[in-house]
Amino acid sequence: MQSFRLIRPRTAQEAVSAAAQGGAASRFIAGGTTLYDLMKLNIERPGQVIDITGIGELHRIETAGEELRFGALAPMSAVATDAVVSRDHPVLAEALAKAASQQLRNMASVGGNLLQRTRCPYFRNGAGGVYPCNKREPGSGCAAIGGLDRSQAVLGTSEACTAVSPGDWPVALVAVDAGIELLGPNGPRSMPVDALYRLPGETPQHEFTLAPGEMITAITVPRRNAGRLSTYHKIRDRESYAFALASAAVVLELEGDRIAQARVALGGVATRPWRAPAAEQMLAGQRLTPELALAAGHAAFRDARAGHHNAFKLELGARTVADALIIAAERRP
Amino acid sequence: MPAPPFADRPRIDALDKVRGAAAYAADMRFPGLLHAMTVPSPVARGRVAALETEAALRIPGVTRILTPADFAPTQRVADLPNSPRPGLVPEIAFRGEPLALIVAETLEAAIEGAEAVRVRIEGAPFSATVDSPGAAREPAPDVSTGDAARALAGASTIVEASYESPTQHHNPIELLSTTAVWADGRLLIHEGSQNAGAIKVAVARTLGIDPAIVDVKSATVGGAFGQKGWVQRQTALVARAAMLTGRPVKLVAPRGQIFHLATFRPLSRHRIRLGADATGRMVGVHYEVDQQNSRSGGFPANQYHDGAMRLYGIADYAGIAANIRTDTQAPGHMRAPYEHPACFAFESAVDELSYRLGRDPVALRMANDTRTDMHTGKPLSSRFLNECLQIGAERFGWSRRNPAPASMAAPDGTQIGWGVACGLYPTLIHPAVATLRIAADGSTRFAVAGHEFGQGIRTALAAVLTRELQIDERRLQILVGDTTAAPQHLTAGSWGSASALPLVVQAVARMRQAVAELLDGRRIAGTLHQQIATVRRPFLEVEVSQVGPGQDSAALQRMRAGGYAVTGPAYPDFTTMSYIAHFVEVRVEPRTRRVRVPRVVSIADCGRVVSPRTAASQVRGGVVWGISHALREATETDPRYGGFLNNDLAEYVVATNADVDEIDVGFVDEPDPLFNSIGLKSLGEVSMVGVSAAVANAVFHATGRRLRKLPIRVDDLL
Ligand SMILES: Cc1cc2nc3c(=O)[nH]c(=O)nc-3n(C[C@H](O)[C@H](O)[C@H](O)COP(=O)(O)OP(=O)(O)OC[C@H]3O[C@@H](n4cnc5c(N)ncnc54)[C@H](O)[C@@H]3O)c2cc1C
Repeated sequence: MQSFRLIRPRTAQEAVSAAAQGGAASRFIAGGTTLYDLMKLNIERPGQVIDITGIGELHRIETAGEELRFGALAPMSAVATDAVVSRDHPVLAEALAKAASQQLRNMASVGGNLLQRTRCPYFRNGAGGVYPCNKREPGSGCAAIGGLDRSQAVLGTSEACTAVSPGDWPVALVAVDAGIELLGPNGPRSMPVDALYRLPGETPQHEFTLAPGEMITAITVPRRNAGRLSTYHKIRDRESYAFALASAAVVLELEGDRIAQARVALGGVATRPWRAPAAEQMLAGQRLTPELALAAGHAAFRDARAGHHNAFKLELGARTVADALIIAAERRP
Repeated sequence: MPAPPFADRPRIDALDKVRGAAAYAADMRFPGLLHAMTVPSPVARGRVAALETEAALRIPGVTRILTPADFAPTQRVADLPNSPRPGLVPEIAFRGEPLALIVAETLEAAIEGAEAVRVRIEGAPFSATVDSPGAAREPAPDVSTGDAARALAGASTIVEASYESPTQHHNPIELLSTTAVWADGRLLIHEGSQNAGAIKVAVARTLGIDPAIVDVKSATVGGAFGQKGWVQRQTALVARAAMLTGRPVKLVAPRGQIFHLATFRPLSRHRIRLGADATGRMVGVHYEVDQQNSRSGGFPANQYHDGAMRLYGIADYAGIAANIRTDTQAPGHMRAPYEHPACFAFESAVDELSYRLGRDPVALRMANDTRTDMHTGKPLSSRFLNECLQIGAERFGWSRRNPAPASMAAPDGTQIGWGVACGLYPTLIHPAVATLRIAADGSTRFAVAGHEFGQGIRTALAAVLTRELQIDERRLQILVGDTTAAPQHLTAGSWGSASALPLVVQAVARMRQAVAELLDGRRIAGTLHQQIATVRRPFLEVEVSQVGPGQDSAALQRMRAGGYAVTGPAYPDFTTMSYIAHFVEVRVEPRTRRVRVPRVVSIADCGRVVSPRTAASQVRGGVVWGISHALREATETDPRYGGFLNNDLAEYVVATNADVDEIDVGFVDEPDPLFNSIGLKSLGEVSMVGVSAAVANAVFHATGRRLRKLPIRVDDLL
């Protein structure tokens, strides 16, 4: 940890201007549950920290229209327990409620959540030259490959990095084709949440597609993409306060007893929030049976590649998808 | 005459704790306090070639950096709880070893300073795990009785299997914190500890000062579990910093560092051959255990047998043990250090035997009961393990169990398993001294050896004090963990209560006698306080002491000098152990194979229960930890780098509330007739012994899968 300058803007525009002036050493801070953690681990060393929590307009939760709109600073706990979200959009509420702990959810923002960084232990613990990590020190190598890789990804990995994208909320958002609104030095823009994430490839240090100094102002969800026949199913090493070993966000639209459209995304197993189109295609037009659910789960992992200790994730992940599909289907009125 | 049953009473410090008013060591405030932070070694073995401190010293607020030059060279001695630790040294023996100590005006400056120190290290080859090349296997003395080889040769059924218990860390919520004040020629240390007396002596030894000028206070400890029973490396460093700067200095070690500094439960591997005759009597055991140890670790390997060999009436027992030396910090005691892993292995083997014999696992255990310590041939002072099994089976509904593995399931396909296992723990005693002061103003003060780390020793002392004396509890002060109030022992091994509570009875008797002498035949009505007031004395104080059966005053002397003087469980005329039986239900999900534990019934024989509420809380805590041991906790080491990888509370997964459901606790509550005047035995550690075996046995019953390596995770059951 080192000394840094703290700025507390009142508007989004002020915040973005401060970021432009601060340059590469500048960081926004919302709940601080990722940023402070990484500062204490000596991984993030910002020279300037912009506390955006005083920007009132970014805290709003709007659920009246055809599009749900969550201000980037809305706390995870507030969105998870919002009356409309928890009643009509279980996939969203569950993804938030099953993340972290109540204390963390009270602090953490739904915007900051999208930018949390991997829990790969070699990334987090290695500062000071203990473990090499291409994400932390580009070009230094990857200690996880050939190391203790039980929690590493099996989808979207590269020779340079197998770190899991840890968030639950982003997985649900990718499943429902959510979008984000941004404000940057060049003004506002929007894009799908899906477009926010990069694959590690040769450059695992670049995780997001945000332009320098760009701020997330809101998250938007097309209401009908996240209906009641949905769930976020999360399997972890304990029943709360743990990241996913495997998770699945599932939303079903039924026509009669057949699936008109299935939305499936995976967490805990991939280097970014992972949509599973092969599973979705297999389900479309079919009647859901336990066998089909499991087959769809396996389809989602067709391209997976295991390391030394994480091969179980292929089977666990497939079965998690299967259980999620069954849970979602059982929510039929 | 053993005491009659005790009534329920609230925890004496509960209100203070929930209000945040209880003061822990790190809460102590001193004017002019400086903050310290260590520079941990990034490598597991080597030598510091150079410490570059210029950049760190330029950081505003950094006042001093301690290096090996600030300490007289010390010899590394075998690492045991009371051993003095070295100061700062250039040789690196384990990852995380402190290489320098930064002292600064603020915590932030100390942290920034620590990160700014550049260390040049000449690395050396190391062995990080028991399977690493260079990890040296070193046999320990055997612990054997009878002729196991002959007994096994005659056995009609033999179970042979290997079990593994992983490396684990204690992780009490209170971090390791030391505050040292050097003033008026005395050194005062506040630290969350189970061993204030040893700190006094060991720190003095490391720093070359007289222990008589060192005072240590550890009034309230935020969890310890054995981690805080060992003298910490940091204590002498902080004390030295206070002496060099002339200002109070505080260090709260970050959790990631504590994983590498404090002791841990070492990985252990257990190979068991257990034989029974045609009637189902267990006749012989050959039990070999290997445990991880550090190069200079003194944590003995053969004590795994002390409990296992006394669990049943088995006459022929061969107990073999070895250390595997690796380059880590010293492993040490973690709640039920030996009995817990040993009973996981042994009680798993007994369960395997029950299936081989086609016997009910409860009935098989009850048929192998004993009244004799087979190791010494002496009688057991009391043993109500069969009562524990009987009561537990009834409460749990064991008779409704279908014995066939994988035979019980819920409608959704969830597999249900019921498992049982027993545990035991030695009942030990440490010599101790206590003073009771009764004052004319109505106040009462009792000071004794002991530490309050949440187990409830103050509450138990209050239970006996208020029964023996008419006192105003609001004016009762109980001083523990304070070397200025009474000589302090290592409070561990569940000997705290047996070593302190009978002293209350003794002190009150002595006090009554002293008051009677003072009154000299006059009859004065009222409480002792009122009697003392009437004769115009401000207070009366008595001192009493106690040693264990078979000990003499030399043990007391050793204790007063800060030494370790525990005795038991084999006393001259009898052996004393505590016992427990656990009944566990698990449910295993059909597809994703998560294991849940919806209910546990645990019945303990700990002699007379003095404080029912804190006693039940001890058992519940032990059961939670047992579940955590069975299904959750393991510290991971990458052999290429050494150290511990998952070194925080997010990645080292301990059981949470959501992992625990119904825990039904019961006590036999039969006083031990021989061990002490109250009839109490030991409880804290026995609580968790056997839980992990009961879980693993239940998983076998649910699924037909015998898992012999902990923790059991979804990976193992898919
Ligand atoms: C112990 C622990 C357990 C956890 N468990 C889980 C879990 O199980 N599942 C899960 O999903 N998450 C988990 N988390 C992660 C947690 O959800 C995230 O840390 C949190 O959501 C981040 O939000 P924040 O507001 O605190 O972000 P901050 O820490 O304030 O910021 C995170 C990052 O985003 C940037 N940032 C913040 N807001 C904006 C914005 N509006 N625009 C642009 N950049 C911004 C910051 O500069 C920083 O780089 C856990 C965290 C901890 C510490």
